Amino acid sequence: MSRTTTRWAPLTSTALCIAGLGASAYLTVEHFSSSPSYACPESATINCVKVTTSSYSELLGIPVALLGLLFFLVMTPLCLPIAWRLDNPWVPRLRLAGITLGVAFVIYLVWAELFRIDAICLWCTGVHAVTLALFAVVVLDAALRPIAAADATSGLPPRNAGRVAGKGR
Amino acid sequence: MSSRVKGKDNARARAAEMRATQARLERRRRVLGATAALIVVILVVGGLVLVKLTSGGGTTTADTKPTTALPSSVLHGVTSVPTSTSDKVGATGVTSVPVSVKTPALTAGGKPKMLYFGAEYCPYCAAERWPVVVALSRFGTWSGLGAATSSSSDVFPNTPSLSFHGATFTSDFLTFTGYETTDSNRVPLDKPSAADQKIFDTYNRPPYLSGVAGGIPFIDIAGKYVSSGSSFGPELLAGQTRAEIAQAINDPSSKIGQAVLANANVLTAAICQATGAKPANVCTSSGVTAGAAALVSGQAKK
Repeated sequence: MSRTTTRWAPLTSTALCIAGLGASAYLTVEHFSSSPSYACPESATINCVKVTTSSYSELLGIPVALLGLLFFLVMTPLCLPIAWRLDNPWVPRLRLAGITLGVAFVIYLVWAELFRIDAICLWCTGVHAVTLALFAVVVLDAALRPIAAADATSGLPPRNAGRVAGKGR
Repeated sequence: MSSRVKGKDNARARAAEMRATQARLERRRRVLGATAALIVVILVVGGLVLVKLTSGGGTTTADTKPTTALPSSVLHGVTSVPTSTSDKVGATGVTSVPVSVKTPALTAGGKPKMLYFGAEYCPYCAAERWPVVVALSRFGTWSGLGAATSSSSDVFPNTPSLSFHGATFTSDFLTFTGYETTDSNRVPLDKPSAADQKIFDTYNRPPYLSGVAGGIPFIDIAGKYVSSGSSFGPELLAGQTRAEIAQAINDPSSKIGQAVLANANVLTAAICQATGAKPANVCTSSGVTAGAAALVSGQAKK
């Protein structure tokens, strides 16, 4: 049986998703706490409370922390080793679409922290770093996985296989 | 070996070569695509950080930039008033004190939280910021404090003041969130969080405070004290420069120094109740003790 992915992507991505799940769950719990007390140093630059209570802590009335938790709840099953081994072409497509959306949102949140809120939340930065690392894993896997397997999982037939086989007959 | 078998072998070899070539091209295409995607993301995120860093570590946009930078001499004059100076004033001439309330504790980061709502156009806010900054400087450090002047078309026009827009207060004892909702031309500036807006809407009205609901400046000290309006008249600051006011604050015999320091002592006493009388050297100073007495007697008058 041919490999459908690189050797390192399944475990690395699962570990990243679990880390992201933990951090975003913590941020969500603190968001709904009546008196949030983040385990986060406070200085002129780093201020978790300022970030997580700012007007940018919600999007269309939905807490950003909750959106992060939902993101990792979706990404975790897509990044489990068993999901990487599936031949269903929609799994890698969903994985890539999900992480691309996640990275776009991270860029928006980094912009808001730096230029609107004027403070950095370390827990949020941790989630951002995990998301960017997950993006790197998914994208690099798509580039480095075995070609035939990559074609199969992307829904494409192995290139020219049928034509060459036909010629041989 | 027959020529037919040789031909088959050649065809297989060519096919294998073609597959290998196409696999190489496909891999190159994928690696280039992945590399481009990663580079774009790194450039965007890195670019944001770089722009922020090269802007001097401060703020870079109109949204969070102080309206005008505060001269260092003024900043030093307001944030470094000697205890001996404020002790000389005590609570002399205090006419208005924050109202004691029993509302849920207002905290952030596990510390008591002081909330300020104001606007740069507002002359009463312009007056009140001076004692607020003096009082909070006893508990922590300021960065990014700006300079602001109240509206030229309102009462007490062009009252010189400071601005909390873009400012950060750091303390081991409490947190401070200050909103300047508009600039001096009433152009929107800071947008309060939903939670802080709810505090403003709920407690900036009777029965917690007398008078019209929703007035500014509004202050909530950890859910223990609230106030609306300035503690002294903005007319006292008329015609003064910020540098002159900062100088006067350090002169306990000046009218401005007495008004600002006395009200800063009262505010400090209220904050000390929220911090558990910490730091002790601040909360037990004679000026703050006099402020605490005025805070108690002021409640009795209400």
